[in-house]
Amino acid sequence: MGQIKLSINGKSYTIDADESMPLLWAVRDFVGLTGSKFGCGIAQCGACTMHMDGEPIRSCSVPLASAKGKKITTIEGIGTEDKLHAVQEAWIEEQVPQCGYCQSGQIMSAVALLKTHASPTDEQIDEAMQGNICRCGTYDRIRKAIKRAAVG
Amino acid sequence: MIKNITKGKVDTSRNIDSHNHVTGRSIYVDDLPELQGTLYLAVFGSPVAHGHLRSVDLSAAEKLPGVFRIFTAKDIPGANQIGGIIPDEPLLADKEVHFHEMPIALVAAESEAIAMEAAKLITAEIDPLPVIIDPREAFAKGHISGSPRTFQLGDSNKAFAECAHIFEGKADSGGQEHLYIETQGAYAIPMENGSLRIASSTQGPTAVQRTIAGVLGIPMHKIEVDVTRLGGGFGGKEDQASAWGAMVALVAHLTNKPAKFVLHRMDDMRMTGKRNPYSSDYKIGLDKDYKIIAYEATFYQNSGAAADLSPAILERTLFHLNNSYYIPNVLATAYSCRTNLPPNTAFRGFGGPQGMFVIESAIHQAANTLGIDPIVIQEANLLKDGDVFPYGQIAKEAEAISCWEESKERFDLKKIREEVANFNANNEALKKGLALMPICFGISFTNTMMNNARALVHVYSDGSIGVSTGAVEMGQGVNTKMLQVAAHYFAVAPERIKIESTNTTRVANTSPTAASSTADLNGKALAHACTQILDRLKEVAASSLDTSADKITLKNETVYVDDIASDLQWEQLILSAFQQRVNLSAKGHYSTPTIHFDKTTEKGHPFAYHVYGTAIFVSTVDCIRGTYTFDAVKIVHDFGASMNRMIDLGQTEGGLVQGIGWMTMEEVIYDETGRLRSDALSTYKIPDIYAVPKEIDVHFLKTDGSDMALFKSKAVGEPPLLYGVGAYFSVINAVRAFNPNWMPEFYDAPITPEKVLMGLYAI
Repeated sequence: MGQIKLSINGKSYTIDADESMPLLWAVRDFVGLTGSKFGCGIAQCGACTMHMDGEPIRSCSVPLASAKGKKITTIEGIGTEDKLHAVQEAWIEEQVPQCGYCQSGQIMSAVALLKTHASPTDEQIDEAMQGNICRCGTYDRIRKAIKRAAVG
Repeated sequence: MIKNITKGKVDTSRNIDSHNHVTGRSIYVDDLPELQGTLYLAVFGSPVAHGHLRSVDLSAAEKLPGVFRIFTAKDIPGANQIGGIIPDEPLLADKEVHFHEMPIALVAAESEAIAMEAAKLITAEIDPLPVIIDPREAFAKGHISGSPRTFQLGDSNKAFAECAHIFEGKADSGGQEHLYIETQGAYAIPMENGSLRIASSTQGPTAVQRTIAGVLGIPMHKIEVDVTRLGGGFGGKEDQASAWGAMVALVAHLTNKPAKFVLHRMDDMRMTGKRNPYSSDYKIGLDKDYKIIAYEATFYQNSGAAADLSPAILERTLFHLNNSYYIPNVLATAYSCRTNLPPNTAFRGFGGPQGMFVIESAIHQAANTLGIDPIVIQEANLLKDGDVFPYGQIAKEAEAISCWEESKERFDLKKIREEVANFNANNEALKKGLALMPICFGISFTNTMMNNARALVHVYSDGSIGVSTGAVEMGQGVNTKMLQVAAHYFAVAPERIKIESTNTTRVANTSPTAASSTADLNGKALAHACTQILDRLKEVAASSLDTSADKITLKNETVYVDDIASDLQWEQLILSAFQQRVNLSAKGHYSTPTIHFDKTTEKGHPFAYHVYGTAIFVSTVDCIRGTYTFDAVKIVHDFGASMNRMIDLGQTEGGLVQGIGWMTMEEVIYDETGRLRSDALSTYKIPDIYAVPKEIDVHFLKTDGSDMALFKSKAVGEPPLLYGVGAYFSVINAVRAFNPNWMPEFYDAPITPEKVLMGLYAI
């Protein structure tokens, strides 16, 4: 155990936890941001996707030791109360979510994709989103929403 | 119904949860704030699939710091029983274990990590017994749950004698892991007088309540089950959420501390049942015009180690044995075969898809042996009004032919056929396959008793409205539909209405959210509640405006007299009613009329109505690798008069993808010892973004809809999954384009790339 400093959505947090604790646990249980979800625990479903220095990561499999000194962004950090992120807007316009559980992870992967590819091709969308599983099967709308956000 | 509402920000043409879903604010069980002193649970599951349980050694686990207490069967104060239909399933194994990972002991500890570590320290002494995983083997050894069921129409024996063509074969379909991304979970909080409040991720709040009451040996009124929403259910949380609810309740009841259990993914996969695998035999007879004259089938359902919902699932297999075809002579028997797998359970379609796969296999075999396209046989036998189903119901408002014909015309089937043929003539390494999949699905719980629902509506003195029903929101958009109902009847802005959590103290004795019929049942109950309040409000308005109640209508939050707007607005109306001591609350009830079914004759009218549709599948098989993609799936679907097109379309797209997964890539593998080998997302493959069709085109069939449906908008949850069966046959057809001499030895879904390769290069 020890004092670990984390930067999450632009705020600094000091938490008392073991360095081997997965980042997802710290963010959900210690920081209290529950938008990122546990799905599989082995980086295979994408429900826990956050950004670390802008890169999408599976926070269920990233220990706190690796997150120290990095800028972490979660679903709670990409839009504001008054203005949603363009990807969130597009998600609503295309009516992507069904049960909603995987969607914060989907959105975080899409946001990261659009940072590196402003107008992604179908192939680039599939490649970027392949690690995010949606059991409701909303993939067709995810593609449409990413294209909508890219245009917007 | 909603376009009259001009005020406000809530747009009920969209899912009302959208904003919370995209901002991460939606609350699931694991997101609830935790109380101090909460205990966390872990299960010690059986290391073998079948055996006599001699003893359990908890000593090492009990010594682990942070372990509060460990529970076994002997700690259960009530009945050690969670079976929903047949009481054959203990919560914690007592004398015998029946499947691998069957819960034996329950650890409560101060953290989840400690609980899981402690569970690993528990050992059990078990004398192994023979393990059966195959339903035909179970049948041969007489391991059957309940009674076999037989549906009969006409005289198939006599009819076969008159058939020009007869074919026999075997068709197997595999299991399917639900893989709701939110795993099973529950959180219990002890209240005063021995009561408990339980947050559960369940499709069946009443089932959880009833199960807990039985396990604790206390009345149901002491158990309050509350459900905000589910991160997916798909049938997996209809009956199988009860065990975890009962475990947290047991611990909270015995320790007087809050107890929480959210399953780890691999535990969830190993401990919970899946879609029932089936192995079936069929015999089909056609006349010279390819009319199906006779059909016989024997279905061997793999129920797993307990009945769970399998008897009801078995029934629906029989109800859908003819898919959307009229067959005058039918004889079909179904057996629920008990094996040593975790108890299999409901999964979107509930046995219907398994039955439909068999008739489609029979048609495919018949057509390919006769050298014709299966489409010819499918088309020659579609149901029309007046045809009788094998269970005696007469087809009414049948849309099988209209969906089929419209799909052919709208999507230009002739052109698709030519394109596929041209492509195949000009390509060696890639081959395309075409298949059509007509569907027909009966709407209602097949257990007539369950087709009823209740709603509770409060209009508060400020004009805001709270709506409770028995419907559980699990992604299907039922809360949005409930809000549409209330907004329609009260003619108020949707943001005045709050859809409350599903709670057993507000709406009791609920049927589970299942059978696609939740919006119909609960929506109609809600309409009943709303109209009672509305009638009272009309009296208040009439007296205030010096007219009679029959002249009053409400539109856009305004009272109208003889269709002329008055000055009386919603908030004033409610305040007047409140001041005049008018009851502003009502409970509504609905039970589906006309339906009935007699299990002794296996005849009746079990369904309120049927849903129809036709899908056209085009797949491309990579003949080097055995992989495949779906170029396009084009669907004409019978939504009735859809009350929410975006939600209904989403259900169709999602159901289709799930059906494709079941039929193609999702392979549940148990080894001969009954151990699940596909127990993680790395070994069990469900559709990802690569797996979905490149093009999904869904057309809404133009119909008036059914009066039996909510706002004439037909149920939409399960039917689209059935289209997935077409994916299987389109891949088979593509393989046959490469290797025309190959026919499957028997029909065996899922058609994984391994099986494709075997077909491509079979000699």
